[in-house]
Order: sequence, then structure tokens, then C-alpha cells
Amino acid sequence: MLKIVFFNDTEKKRHSLLEFTWARCSFVIFATMVKNGLPNMVSFSVCLLCSVWIIYEQVMIAALDCSRDDLAWSCLQELKRQFPDSHRVKRLAGMRLEALERYEDANKLYDSILQDDPTNTAARKRKISILRAQGKSSEAIRELNEYLEQFVGDQEAWHELSELYINEHDYAKAAFCLEELMMTNPHNHLYCEQYGEVKYTQGGLENLELARKYFAQALKLNNRNMRALFGLYMPHLTNLRHPKLQKPRDLLPEAEMRLIGVQLKFQHIHGEGLSC
Amino acid sequence: MSLKLTTQAYCKMLLHAAKYPHCAVNGLLVAEKHKKKDSPRDSVLCVDCVPLFHGALALAPMLEVALTLKSRLIRPGNIFPVFNCPILIDAWCKENKYVIAGYYQANERIKEARPNQVAEKVAARISENFSEAAMIMWKCREPSTDCFEDWIEAQKITAALLESKSYESLVDFDNHLDDLRNDWTNPEINKSVLHLC
Repeated sequence: MLKIVFFNDTEKKRHSLLEFTWARCSFVIFATMVKNGLPNMVSFSVCLLCSVWIIYEQVMIAALDCSRDDLAWSCLQELKRQFPDSHRVKRLAGMRLEALERYEDANKLYDSILQDDPTNTAARKRKISILRAQGKSSEAIRELNEYLEQFVGDQEAWHELSELYINEHDYAKAAFCLEELMMTNPHNHLYCEQYGEVKYTQGGLENLELARKYFAQALKLNNRNMRALFGLYMPHLTNLRHPKLQKPRDLLPEAEMRLIGVQLKFQHIHGEGLSC
Repeated sequence: MSLKLTTQAYCKMLLHAAKYPHCAVNGLLVAEKHKKKDSPRDSVLCVDCVPLFHGALALAPMLEVALTLKSRLIRPGNIFPVFNCPILIDAWCKENKYVIAGYYQANERIKEARPNQVAEKVAARISENFSEAAMIMWKCREPSTDCFEDWIEAQKITAALLESKSYESLVDFDNHLDDLRNDWTNPEINKSVLHLC
């Protein structure tokens, strides 16, 4: 079953790289077929049945990413023909307008969707993406906060908000967003590690101690997380400059030994993947 | 005192930006160590670049690892034998007699080309060790041809690399931290650039 993938300016999670690659493959396959007009096209559509519309959607979004407005327009026409009154297709039309930098028209389209259906989260997120694309970070943050007051469980939105705060150097609020994510995903080592990085960047005695704890937690969840390993090692160096900080209690020798172990493994084995 | 970029440095910078068109990217520029320490340089020639991060650039720990962490873990006289340490930029620079001479950054939005707080802090840190350090901010405009060793060759080679989608195989420090087998020195891309020269 093909998975629906929405590529917009807000999706930058590391694991979505695979989905991005899949969309590119779909785009290449479909674009080749459209270009060559292969007779397989009909049988391809027949095999996919109703999944072909998901392909049209994914190819359209990939085409927008590649600045192929011609292909995006043809996909949009097919979708409009099949689903004339769909909000989902309207949202895609809005995304096309965004790609053409016609933000006013895109906003009007999304407002019309929200008038019919005020609970449509996709349209609201697209409006926030427009603000981000225009560089209006503070408005985007404000809108995203209002959105999260109503839709508290939207993890993608919390992650987006944490990124916006990090870019604005408001690390305390970014940490709050990551705490929300860690509460819903306690086993995700990436959130622990990123929280540790935010706390380290914030600086100060308590934050460095917290950073160390969260790096250790990230390592506990995934002992191959290099960033967490380096993160565990780095606060010690800061300790050396701030003698008032509590001694790391044998954390440095352990971190150092682990880093040396990693280097030895890397040199000798080479084949073994030391990855997140 | 002027800055000049070799084709290799320019190509890798551009490929880094092309690989992550939806993110902000940054990296370091390296120059060869000047033999005469007392006499000042006429111009700084950046021979290579080290692509660092993409995405959230404003977080300190990994940036500090890239810029300041020295290879003190493995050194002569240690109980472990001495290895070349490919993980740390400082060790690589020492091995190749390079010095970190500059910093480049491409912001998330094309139209925004002003250096932000991160760029200024990194540039300040680099200039502590190298007085003639430079900062390059990517703009959506043709650059001045004065800062290239050979602009026509750089254009030609970059176009060929973009056409062949070589950016997909480019490795930055972030990719290296994700999987240590990824080599951030990008020897394959260096070979391709040399081959096209």
C-alpha cells in the first residue's frame, strides 16, 4: 500500500529522506511514462487502480520541488477532474501557487478551505508555511502557537516550532517544544539528543548538567548515536573552563574510552556501520 | 588582501547547497599554511572546503566539535597505537598542512543573504586563529569573477557536476556523524573535479 507523503517546507525530519527518495523514484517513473506515452500507462493505471491518484499527488509535489510547473499543472488537472470539490486537491492547487510565489492567491485559497472546514489542519499548516517562506518568523511562531493550542498532539508542528525557535535563538522555548515531543516519544533517541544540544547551547551550570544527562539518555536508547557521544564528551571540556561546575564523576574517562573505542572500531573493522 | 577560491572549493560549496535546497547549509574553507609566518599574504587562496551542517545551524555542540575539538584522544606515547583520525577536522588540516581560512553559509531562503548570529560568531572564532579569515554568504546572483582562480573552468565543471547529480554523493560533517563510514573529505568528488579540469 503506497504511503501518502506530503512534502512541504516544514518537513525536514531525517527519516523523511527515505520518503523523499521514494517520491523522486515515483516522479522519475511517472514522468518517463508521461513523456514517452508508453502503452504500459493504461495497464499501469489499471494495476494501481485507485492508488494512481496518490501517485498523481506525490508526483505533483515532487514536480513542484523540481520546479517542473508543466508536470505539476497536468497532475493537478487530472486530480481536479477526478475529485472536483476536494479540499485536498484545493490544497495542492494552493501549493502550486506557493511554488510560483503567488502567496496572496494561495492564502485566499486556504482561507476558502478553512471557511468550509475550520478543522482542516493541512490548510492551516500551509498558511504557516507561507509565513515561513516569506521570512516572517515571528508571525509564523505566533500562528503555530495558536494552532498548537487547538491541536496539541501534532508532533510535526511541535518539531517545526522547535526549529523556528532555534533559528530565532530562543533556546528555552525550543527546549519546551522538544520536551513535548519527548513526552509523546520517550524512546526516540533523536529528540533526547537534540534536547541535549539545545540545553548545551543555552549554557549555564544547570543546563550543561541537564545536557549531559540527556546525551547519556540518548546513548542509552541508541549506543551508536555519535552526536550524543560527542555531546557527552564536550561538556567536560566546558567544565575545565568553569571550575565551579560539578566534576563529571568518571564520565570523562568513560566518554573518552568510548570515543577511542569508536575510532579503533572505525579503523579496524570499517565494514561495520557506526550510525544512528 | 583578496580572497580567491579554487574550482574544487567552489564546486563542493555549490554541490552542498544543491544537495539540501530546502535547508540552510554551512561549511569551512581551508587554505594552505603560509610558509613565511612573518610576511603577510597578498591573497588567500582557499583550496578546499569542508561542508559542515545542514538544517539547524544554530546549535553549538556539533559546531564546537567541528571547530575546536583537537585530536587529543590519540597521540604518540598513548597506550593505543597512533592512527590517522579521519573524524576530526583539525587533525585532517594538520596532516595536509591546511589552515581554516573562512566560513560559508547559504541561508534557507534565497532572498535572505545577511549573515546571522551564527555566521558572525563562527567567523569571529576562525579569525582568532587566522587573521585574514573570510566569510562567504551565498546570494542568488552571479558572483564577482575576481574571487575565482579560474571562473570559466569553475562554471563549466560545476555545470557538469550538477548535470550528473554528483551532489547526491556529497558528504558533509552531519552525514559523517550519522554514519562514520561517510568520508567528509569527499575524495570521489575531488577526483571528479580533477578529472574534469
